[in-house]
Amino acid sequence: MEPTPHILVIDDDREIRDLLARFLEKQRIRVTAVRDGKEARRAWLNGHYQLVVLDLMLPGESGLDLARWLRGQSDIPIVMLTAMGEDTDRIIGLELGADDYVPKPFNPRELLARIRAVLRRAGDQADVRHDPAVRGYRFADWTLEPARRRLLNPDGVEVALTGGEYDLLLALVERANRVLTRDMLLDLLRGRQAGPFDRAIDVAVSRLRRKLEDDGRNAQLIKTVRGGGYVLAATVDRL
Amino acid sequence: MKLYLWPRSLATRTALVLLLGLAIVQVAGLTIHALDRMDVQRLAQARDLAVRVASFYRTIALTDPGRRPTVLADLHRGPDLTAALAGSPPDVDMPEMPTPEQRLLRVNMSMVWMGAPNLRWREMVIYGGHPWGKVVVAMRLPDGEWLNVRAKLEPLRPWHSPTFLVAFSLMTAVAAVLTLWAVRRLTAPVRLLAEAAEALGRDVNAPPLPENGPTEVAVAAVAFNTMASRIRRFVQDRTELLTAIGHDLRTPITRLKLRAEFIEDDEQRGKILADLEELEAMVSATLAFGRDSRAMETVTSIDLAELLRTILDDAGDARPDVADRLTYEGPSHLTVQARTLSLKRALVNLVTNAVTYGGAARVRLALQDDRMVVIEIEDDGPGISPAEMDRVFEPFHRGEPSRNRETGGVGLGLPIARNILRAHGGDVTLANRPAGGLRARVTLPV
Ligand SMILES: Nc1ncnc2c1ncn2[C@@H]1O[C@H](COP(=O)(O)OP(=O)(O)O)[C@@H](O)[C@H]1O
Ligand SMILES: [Mg+2]
Repeated sequence: MEPTPHILVIDDDREIRDLLARFLEKQRIRVTAVRDGKEARRAWLNGHYQLVVLDLMLPGESGLDLARWLRGQSDIPIVMLTAMGEDTDRIIGLELGADDYVPKPFNPRELLARIRAVLRRAGDQADVRHDPAVRGYRFADWTLEPARRRLLNPDGVEVALTGGEYDLLLALVERANRVLTRDMLLDLLRGRQAGPFDRAIDVAVSRLRRKLEDDGRNAQLIKTVRGGGYVLAATVDRL
Repeated sequence: MKLYLWPRSLATRTALVLLLGLAIVQVAGLTIHALDRMDVQRLAQARDLAVRVASFYRTIALTDPGRRPTVLADLHRGPDLTAALAGSPPDVDMPEMPTPEQRLLRVNMSMVWMGAPNLRWREMVIYGGHPWGKVVVAMRLPDGEWLNVRAKLEPLRPWHSPTFLVAFSLMTAVAAVLTLWAVRRLTAPVRLLAEAAEALGRDVNAPPLPENGPTEVAVAAVAFNTMASRIRRFVQDRTELLTAIGHDLRTPITRLKLRAEFIEDDEQRGKILADLEELEAMVSATLAFGRDSRAMETVTSIDLAELLRTILDDAGDARPDVADRLTYEGPSHLTVQARTLSLKRALVNLVTNAVTYGGAARVRLALQDDRMVVIEIEDDGPGISPAEMDRVFEPFHRGEPSRNRETGGVGLGLPIARNILRAHGGDVTLANRPAGGLRARVTLPV
């Protein structure tokens, strides 16, 4: 059995803190909840955490400053709560090295899924953990920018991706030349799409191939692995 | 009565009236000038004729009656003057000369010195005049004989000088050109004002009118700008209010969502979460409406064809039941410059409407004149009644049938789409298709 992870929740609303703590504890996650930057620093020094959930809209010291401070302390995963639709906040946050963001008001289950996904990425494969310094990944002349969640073609033109396609491509790119099993992909796409997940993965992969101009029958970039799974066959440069 | 030829443009109307006035003034001036000129000519002719006829008479009168026919034959006469001696005035088919002309001739003749008072004619009759092109002067010599002189009369020529007409036409032409130019200049501010009002209708943040020029124009521009800034203020206040409410609602909605997770009854929890989802969508739409997309994003290039297909894919994933009625037709790649997140939102709103109200979304993309792209989104729904057509673009306006349906909209989809597209220099219009269903037509500069 996995050890219970300990996470630090920073949100200025007491009710949300309490409810979130209760909710996460029900899911067997240990929670320390604090209300602002000052308390967060104190809690940080007195505890050991596997992940931080940080509300960007804090009174006093801004969430972005706190995120910067946390980044200076360690490379602990950070999930940001951003103001819905405030894309600039989100982009700055991701550029600062947050691992994921959830717009507020968030769906508790989605937050939980994101926390678990980030924890898994951090725990299982330390080598592919989201690197805050990475502004983009370059593979076969394509560029994937995590901060803006966008894909640029060799001419620098954005090629739109659905949420699921983006998550899938990021996972493949972060683990280039390593096989991603169906189970891992299922985790990634869970909650993103309705309908049977199995089919959703195949559909997402075939759409990705189309967008990357990777011929489906003779795919060179995203290869199908016998026995179920996909691999991105390309050298990936971190920008 | 309707004037069919009466032009509609203020500039043309003003120019026409001014040119008409100018023409009248010119014709009047010309007439006065011509009459004047004719008077002068008449005077000169009368004097000339009088001198010639009188001196003729004097020569004959001084001559001995017996020698008169010889002298008469010898006398040098111009080609337009004939004279004869007779016992009476000649028979002519012309009446006597009109009095004013006749008086003029007589006065002039009486001024010619006759040498001796007793040589003066005892009687004189004058026939003809300008209408006949000649004049006959019959004079009774002191001894009773008559001397009848016929002279040709040159017609009066009001337009005698050739340069006069040229100068006159030139003057008229110059005046006409100046008039047209001045009128265009004068009416230009009206056109500017109309353009500014149009721009304001499309975008409240349109640049203000320049407040210079003649006083009246400047005053109108200032008034217009004041009105525009009041409207802007009003729109801003309203959006700020909406945004503030939207922000404030986030915390309670988050709390409610968390609380719902502690409800044991699965059905109730599901329903509450669905309600909250709807509430959140409303808040999110309100915030999106209040946001000025230009301030939030920079312009980058995006493959519009791929964006449209991605939107359709997303729509199909959310509604698998209509997935096979979501089609794309057009080039497989087409790059445009845009604020991509905003543009995506605008197009998503239109596609969502087509799917929600029309159960289909057939998207067509085409390039027009290399400068504009046209996106058409068609559906198979009921369309929109003509009365509703304009209103659906009003914020928070929802069509009658949709209001009762559980679609989760708040009536901001179309206003947001239009704001975003107009901020991109494009637009969106709606039309019912003859075959049924609605067609949304989006234009966007490349
Ligand atoms: N494709 C369509 N077919 C029929 N009616 C439509 C369509 N799109 C929009 N409408 C009407 O216009 C109204 C306003 O649309 P919108 O601004 O997107 O708000 P909402 O979808 O939230 O109601 C809708 O309520 C609906 O009555
Ligand atoms: Mg709508």
